[in-house]
Amino acid sequence: MMTREDILAQIRGVLADLFEIDPSRVTLDANLNTDLEIDSIDAVDLIDRIRRFTGKKVSGEAFRSVLTVGDLVGVIERLVSE
Amino acid sequence: MGTAASFTLFGLVGMILGVVAFPLLRLVPLPAGRRAQIGRVLVSSCFHSFIEFMRRIGVLTYEFRGTDGLGRRGQLVLANHPSLIDVVFLIGFSGEPGCVVKRALWGNPFTAGVVSTAGYVPNAPTDAMIEGASAALEAGQTVIMFPEGTRTTPGQPIRFHRGAASVALRAARFVTPVYITVQPTTLTKDTAWYRIPPRRPHWCLVVGEDIELTAFREGHPLPIASRALNDYLIGHFRTRSPGGAGVSGDRPRSLV
Repeated sequence: MMTREDILAQIRGVLADLFEIDPSRVTLDANLNTDLEIDSIDAVDLIDRIRRFTGKKVSGEAFRSVLTVGDLVGVIERLVSE
Repeated sequence: MGTAASFTLFGLVGMILGVVAFPLLRLVPLPAGRRAQIGRVLVSSCFHSFIEFMRRIGVLTYEFRGTDGLGRRGQLVLANHPSLIDVVFLIGFSGEPGCVVKRALWGNPFTAGVVSTAGYVPNAPTDAMIEGASAALEAGQTVIMFPEGTRTTPGQPIRFHRGAASVALRAARFVTPVYITVQPTTLTKDTAWYRIPPRRPHWCLVVGEDIELTAFREGHPLPIASRALNDYLIGHFRTRSPGGAGVSGDRPRSLV
């Protein structure tokens, strides 16, 4: 079972890997777009990675309301508990 | 008069395609892929004839250099976008290409049947655009994209959306630039479509050499590589299509 901390650690790893973002900037209230400069094209790559580490075939729709890292953790938490 | 005739003809042919030809095509029992391919051939040959019609009645002149290089399997064709009919040239001269087109065309009853049956890719939302264009390239289509995203004002420096670079790195076997200039400018975003230019406009379209992708594909994850490729493409087009183009930027809000 993945805890919220596990999920956040995974996200930090993916963001460092894909976008070279320093993990210390990846806090729960960081806005993906305005603070971390992840745009809608990056989001496609990011969601690819999330599909891989959760093993879930999730559609992009599931992420439409995601604004912050915390929102993202919430969506993944729901995904993995399904 | 020629311009009016051209618009009328384009409207009529478009209507016949949308209201007669494509509805008939959908009735024919065919595998979806085959039907889409026939649809793309239909659109391409109509567009080609339309360009020839306009040239013959004298509303425009054009030169299109290097068309032999267009229409290869898995080829992504990238062009700047100074005028309304750039896409008519590119679709008319690239075999039976797919194309990323405005999503609004799926909401127009005259065009919805055409774009959906031909399997064109809507430009939004971003994830559908990137995945749709990549799938078309992987299936062997030639795919046309305008990385500026919309028609642009001649004279402005070129800016590209990064989506095209991302699609290129994900799925293209070849990436081929086409540089378009129109003199005098006409059918731009800022002038009314019925505004006839002071003299007969001339379209110059030049197919460039393929962009080498290997260096961009090695070493970096896709988001960083696509930024590098996009910067490279902007510089590439700025030096080669002095007619230039306008401003468009990444302005996303939520994650997707």
